[in-house]
Amino acid sequence: MTGRWIGVVLAAAAVCAASGCAAVSERRDAATAATAHFEKALRARRYAAACAVLAPTTREELARSARVTCEEAMGQEEVPAGGAVRHVDVYGNQARAVLTRDTVFLSRFPGGWKVTAAGCQERPEKPYRCGIKGG
Amino acid sequence: MSRPGRPAGEGAPRTEPPRSFLRDNGLGLAFGAGFLLTLLGQALAGHAEFNGQLLDEGLAPVGLGGYVTSSDFAVDVTENWQSEYLQFFLFVFVTVWLVQRGSPESKAPHKAGTESDEEQMVGAYAAEDSPRWARARGWRRSVYARSLGLVMGAVFLLSWLAQSITGAAAHNERQLRELQAPDSWGAYLLLPDFWDRTLQNWQSELLAVASMAVLSVYLRQRGSPESKPVGAAHTSTGVEG
Repeated sequence: MTGRWIGVVLAAAAVCAASGCAAVSERRDAATAATAHFEKALRARRYAAACAVLAPTTREELARSARVTCEEAMGQEEVPAGGAVRHVDVYGNQARAVLTRDTVFLSRFPGGWKVTAAGCQERPEKPYRCGIKGG
Repeated sequence: MSRPGRPAGEGAPRTEPPRSFLRDNGLGLAFGAGFLLTLLGQALAGHAEFNGQLLDEGLAPVGLGGYVTSSDFAVDVTENWQSEYLQFFLFVFVTVWLVQRGSPESKAPHKAGTESDEEQMVGAYAAEDSPRWARARGWRRSVYARSLGLVMGAVFLLSWLAQSITGAAAHNERQLRELQAPDSWGAYLLLPDFWDRTLQNWQSELLAVASMAVLSVYLRQRGSPESKPVGAAHTSTGVEG
């Protein structure tokens, strides 16, 4: 194999690996849709629907810390209406959706993208402070 | 078969064994097969490790196919590739000028440099069976005369670039799992993760080359072309067994 072909293979492998060998745009669209679905449910106070979009550990942690069901806990939480999705970063099976007034983190599960943390505010040199997150 | 009156095996001259593809390519085939097996082993071990981390964080595990096409696997592979090709690139280029007296990995001290056309069998000094570009003039001879180092250097640079791209993606995937903002590729190049992955591999490759160059002055491996003949003097340089 010549150096040129080795280069082509390596470059293709790098691009493929960086993208997870799947259409990044498709995953970004799916993460955006999950975020919009979560936000819409929150705005409509349909907490069962919002809980259905949460990742399992996030849902469990929310219910455990409030000692009520996820739906009840969601009603008690101060999760702001996030507004429109400004942009979504996707790396592998993880995503961050930056909204007008909120930031939401998501992870891909067999059933689709789920929210792992919401009501998040950025802090310099530290992880986001989130109103809802897993344990 | 040994000659009468001579010790069996080790002192007897050998006839050329019959040629076959496997015998003629044993070194490349054995190392190529070893590469594929160890890459598979790395994929299986890395997959288990990666999924262990995901499960600990309450996230969904990935299948083996998903893992081997992930940036996490790619960065682990390419960080080792780049350092290995850097090692060979440096070894090929640096040994043109630097010598190690007594080492079979070095040429004789008086031959330091690119040597004459006659010694290198190029141009008018090319033999009948010399490669065509060794007889050619101009850029083709110049390129061919450096082709081994150039290819090693190109693969090193491409592997390092691939490490940086996949490393940034893997780093950002971890950042998002830890509820932190992702970094750009340019910012990642300045982060400790990139340089830790890079330098931990470089130091081991440079140590291996340095120790091989020096240890082969005094130690022998009978029958190996990487060693001097067992009875060769410690001071003899550029002699392979």
